[in-house]
Amino acid sequence: MKLTKIMKGVLAAASIAAVGSFAQAQQAGGSLVFLVQPEPPTMAGYVSTSGPIGLLGPKIYDGLVDYDNDGKMVPMLAESVDVSPDGKTITFNLRKGVTWHDGEAFTSEDVQFTIMDVLKKVHPRGPNSFKEVSSIDTPDAHTAVFNLDNPAPYMLRALSSYESPMVPKHHLEGQDVKTAKLANNPIGTGPFKFVEWKKGQYMRLDKNENYWREGRPYLDRIVGRFVPDASTRAAAMEKGEVLYAAYNAVSNVEAVRLNKEKDNIGLTTDGYSMINPMALLEFNTKEGPFTDAAVRRAISTAIDRQYMIDTIFFGYGKPATSALSSNFSATGLHAKMPNYPANGDVAAANKILDDAGYARDGNGVRMKGMFDLIPYGEDWKRGGQYIQQVLGEIGIQVELRYEDVPTWLKRVYHNYDFEMNLNYFYQLSDPVLGVHRHYGTNMIRKGTHFVNSSRYSNPELDALLSAGMTTPDATKRAGIYLDIQKILANDMPVVNLFELEFLVVYNTKLKGAYGSAMGAYASFGDAYLD
Amino acid sequence: MNRSSKIIRYVSRRLIQGIPIILAIVVLNFFLLNLAEGDAVDVLAGEAGSATPEYMEEMRKKFGLDKPLPVQLAVYLKNVIQLDLGYSFRHDMQVTELIIDRFWPTLILMVSTILLAVGFGVLLGLFAAINLNTWKDSMVSVFALITYATPLFWVGLMMIILFSIKNDWFPTSGMENSAMFYEGFERVKDIAHHLVLPTITLSLFYLALYTRMMRASMLEQYGQDYVITARAKGVSERRITFVHVLRNALLPVVTMAGVQVGALIGGSVIVESVFAWPGLGMLAFESLFARDLNLLLGIFLLSSALVVAVNLVVDVIYCFLDPRIEVN
Repeated sequence: MKLTKIMKGVLAAASIAAVGSFAQAQQAGGSLVFLVQPEPPTMAGYVSTSGPIGLLGPKIYDGLVDYDNDGKMVPMLAESVDVSPDGKTITFNLRKGVTWHDGEAFTSEDVQFTIMDVLKKVHPRGPNSFKEVSSIDTPDAHTAVFNLDNPAPYMLRALSSYESPMVPKHHLEGQDVKTAKLANNPIGTGPFKFVEWKKGQYMRLDKNENYWREGRPYLDRIVGRFVPDASTRAAAMEKGEVLYAAYNAVSNVEAVRLNKEKDNIGLTTDGYSMINPMALLEFNTKEGPFTDAAVRRAISTAIDRQYMIDTIFFGYGKPATSALSSNFSATGLHAKMPNYPANGDVAAANKILDDAGYARDGNGVRMKGMFDLIPYGEDWKRGGQYIQQVLGEIGIQVELRYEDVPTWLKRVYHNYDFEMNLNYFYQLSDPVLGVHRHYGTNMIRKGTHFVNSSRYSNPELDALLSAGMTTPDATKRAGIYLDIQKILANDMPVVNLFELEFLVVYNTKLKGAYGSAMGAYASFGDAYLD
Repeated sequence: MNRSSKIIRYVSRRLIQGIPIILAIVVLNFFLLNLAEGDAVDVLAGEAGSATPEYMEEMRKKFGLDKPLPVQLAVYLKNVIQLDLGYSFRHDMQVTELIIDRFWPTLILMVSTILLAVGFGVLLGLFAAINLNTWKDSMVSVFALITYATPLFWVGLMMIILFSIKNDWFPTSGMENSAMFYEGFERVKDIAHHLVLPTITLSLFYLALYTRMMRASMLEQYGQDYVITARAKGVSERRITFVHVLRNALLPVVTMAGVQVGALIGGSVIVESVFAWPGLGMLAFESLFARDLNLLLGIFLLSSALVVAVNLVVDVIYCFLDPRIEVN
């Protein structure tokens, strides 16, 4: 019952925090206009984890729990969570008196339906997160009991309103979930109600007067604005027309400038720890010049990670030190590995290639290759140019290729028609959710994006990955992931470059919007204007 | 046969001729767009993070993307003939609805741009022609050259910096104030306020074109025989310029404006992007990268229909400007 106690302790702390926060003078009212970039395709956060949906969806939909900046669970729709000693039965005690925006009551049946019929079936990551959940019992309207085939410690890290929003059964039951009208007319239990979506302009959400949290939300309205041009977004931020921007909506160069020039504009890197973005190189391990692990180790050794962070990302980032993000240190899973020198070591890299028998030709070239770049903007192009240059120093001559998103996705994940690919992955809140998909043999899935495109397959690693999934004991789990990281530091089907630190740029007028580990993907129920 | 019934017959004949042209454009666009790698499902699944191949197969089936291209084209043409532009799977909305939604902002921006550009262009061209080879003429030419040669996005950004950030006169972007949501007349005022910077930016570019054209056209007309005749008759220079020459000089300008109205309705990606103006140009641009072919084809269809229609209107306007031109 360890987890239960932890959860109750957290609950107590949270309620104290809540009482404490009432003592301050928060002003109710006002409109928060913030930047959403790009415009979301739909608002079906239960079908798509597309970033911009995450910026608006969690204001409308609640999750079972939220997570504070230390990654601890905070009650949301679930008031408490009980985990049985064998880890196979998890009971959620749901909040009473919660209603959907259309007035219907929120019950355990909604939870059952959301997990079993929606997230487990159509959510991109849900089938993984809830893999072990075989059924959900609903003994009464306010209790949902998850029955698991095996313990799934990572599942409790995937219950936020962004990752697993609770959706209304009465609007989806008996329909094709993927085409239901709910996608463009979201109805949740969250602090803000959907009002209007003007395509190409804004989405307007108004205060939910019947929100289950007394006195929340403070704001009368939240508007997400869509501004396609990066310079204009920075201008709107500078002028105070918008008060909040996350996920590079305002580029690092502009963010740093605004922060320096304007007293009322602040920066933070908080709010991305559950997302854990990692910049990396994917290699084709089946064909082409990079099939030899020694070459990949040499590349990892040559790249000056700190230089990339400092010159291209304005110092925001941390050099990668293993296959896992250092944010997993909190759960004891991360360990520093060799072959990831922060400042690059060209001499050592050259030695690896010499020892492996790759001789230079008359022009000093050992091998040639094609280098694809993630088509997400200028920063990645520059990153690619730097890597091209440094690889030249170790005799690997690569040609850069920058295409549009669909072409690139098709090339890398359908046709495997690539050799080396610059990319970034979300490692999410647990390696099972965000990292396994990159390395497992079962994740070589032609046509599925952002999985094992390297087609790396290692039975030993596969066994460790499945052990990592089902071992609840923290110490044992850390041992398993230590072995995983050792194997990956040697084989390197993927070379992690650095942990991206996205910025949140905010106007100091906006307060109370920074308390959740979900950052911009949080509910903003506590946000207010000063 | 009188003139108006002649015009009606002419217009209906031209409209019927326009139908095969538009259909040919649709077919051509269809195949051109399908040359691009990847489809809407790839983009949707890519944005979603991870999706299973089964799920993507299912989506393709649902969108009709699993069928061979000629079948897809036949289905599309059948729908178009029934005036159904299809469904945008990306937006989960009818294409017609999406386009109409974006058509009004485009129209507001384009009409004000054309009015401003043609109006000022004609005036400046006239002014330059009257003051031929003086410093006034040179000033106009230099002005036209600079505005024509400056990249639109840069002008737009400078406008924002000057008139929005340094001087708090206009909002940076958008079509209305999304913190306030005004209604009624206040909303009209708010939209007009937001319209100023994008209109000026976009018209600066076209202004130059019309200025140069008007000037050249005026000079050409001054050299015509009828001007000599008029002078010989003793008509005043003022009357020659404003009644005889101006009217004739306007013809090429009207032609140009006609061609451009059609093109402008397609939107201006750059100005819409810089000022976050919710027009058709941005919609088309985004649809291309999302491989939302139904929507893109719908926008192209609308643009081509408008070009056909506007050209027709221009031809009719000719008859009124120059009675010598007859429709037949």
